[in-house]
Amino acid sequence: MCDIDSGFDNSVALSTAPDSKPGAARLRIVAWLLACVLPLLVSPALADDGRGATADLPRVQVAEPYVAWHTGPAAAYPVVRVSEKGEWLTLVRRKTDWFRVRDRRGREGWVHVDDVLLTLDGAGEPVTLTEPRFDDFSTRRWEAGLMMGEFDRAPVTAVYAGYWMTANLSLELWGSQALGTASEILMVSGNLVHQPFPDWRVSPFFTLGYGHIAIRPKTTLADTENRDNPMANAGLGVRFYMTDRYFLRAEVKDYKTFTDRQTNEEATEWKLGLSIFF
Amino acid sequence: METRTQHLFLTLSRRAWLPLLLCAAPAWAAEEPTLIEPDVRPVAVDEALIDTENFEVGAFTGVLNIEDFGSSFVYGARLGYNLSESLFVESNIGFAEGGETSFEQLAGDVELLTDSEREYVYYNLNFGYRLLPGEAFFGPDHAFNTNFYLVAGAGATDFAGDNRFTTNVGFGYQVLFTDSLAVELGVREHMYKIDVLGDEKTAFNTEIRCGLSVFF
Repeated sequence: MCDIDSGFDNSVALSTAPDSKPGAARLRIVAWLLACVLPLLVSPALADDGRGATADLPRVQVAEPYVAWHTGPAAAYPVVRVSEKGEWLTLVRRKTDWFRVRDRRGREGWVHVDDVLLTLDGAGEPVTLTEPRFDDFSTRRWEAGLMMGEFDRAPVTAVYAGYWMTANLSLELWGSQALGTASEILMVSGNLVHQPFPDWRVSPFFTLGYGHIAIRPKTTLADTENRDNPMANAGLGVRFYMTDRYFLRAEVKDYKTFTDRQTNEEATEWKLGLSIFF
Repeated sequence: METRTQHLFLTLSRRAWLPLLLCAAPAWAAEEPTLIEPDVRPVAVDEALIDTENFEVGAFTGVLNIEDFGSSFVYGARLGYNLSESLFVESNIGFAEGGETSFEQLAGDVELLTDSEREYVYYNLNFGYRLLPGEAFFGPDHAFNTNFYLVAGAGATDFAGDNRFTTNVGFGYQVLFTDSLAVELGVREHMYKIDVLGDEKTAFNTEIRCGLSVFF
């Protein structure tokens, strides 16, 4: 009861704060749109009985002594059938590293991409698929990622997308949100990234950026003035290729906010995240 | 007499033709190789024709228990991307509405929060791991692939006048009716720090939900 009493005083002040929730309405619209679109997506999904038009789908011939079929798209699913050398398989669809295949009798199962790469195509040549490899790490143009860390001791979540103009130079667009005990901070920025050694598996980089920072103090605090200011940042970090199209990214950035008061503000941020290249 | 001669002639000729026919049969079969080899045109594998289904989009509804503010109906949307057969990332957005605290109910006409402050919106980004891939059998003729997964991640909750950093952990059980359509039952625990009722404390909000998702 004691807790509630003290909370009452606190929240009277709170409820007098102006209502500002334009974001909530927008997000709600997104959810409703999704609710409307989903049934449209579901109907073809339901109609899909796995026996669509076979004519156009690629076919491959087993070249190894045998190929194992699993009941599902994971190594843990049991092997239920094998295809012998010379058999033709139709590649119906793909989920991560697994292909749903169909044989001449219409039976279906899942075969791993490593096995598909050992088959032959219609021309008798080994099947080639564009599997992302380490070589692509330095040559692919687009990347996107999700990172988390701390901005001035407040937890920060950030997303970015980048385009490599050359092997060394990339342009990135960032959006970040830091939720501290005293304020909510939203940031957008454009960054130029330079990596001197694009061929290294662990590739260091430097970055410079310019953007905008919006600080919204918590409603429970006396000073509820919102502050929007331009901001610049400089940082360094590493990109670490893992496997497939994935790499880890870690970075530290120093931010300078240009305010109209006597002093500019500075903050340090570190983040760790997972990125994908396309 | 004429018929007898005819009969003899025809019988002889039939017996003479039969071996000839038998000899010709293999030669005729050899000219039709399509009976043995399937009709395959010499084409390379075109990856663009293979439908990849690594993305998941879905909607869910359920019950969210908002600490101190009762239980509420929750609905939302989920977008997922499968990194591998086990690992995935997902993003959720959910909407609910906080009820009255027990203090408000006992005190009568006291309102701790305005109506708009009771609107509860959360969003998050999670990593997930499919722990137990399996199959569920429905009668003797139907088998559906299933999996049990764990998720953990972070995001934000906009409730009671502020946007709060929120971590969440959870698990779920997903059943795939087809390769493209799945239903799931899940539980998520959302945690954030809140001081609306006095001292700052960590609120634990449990969400139980069922969802429908489509792979594309």
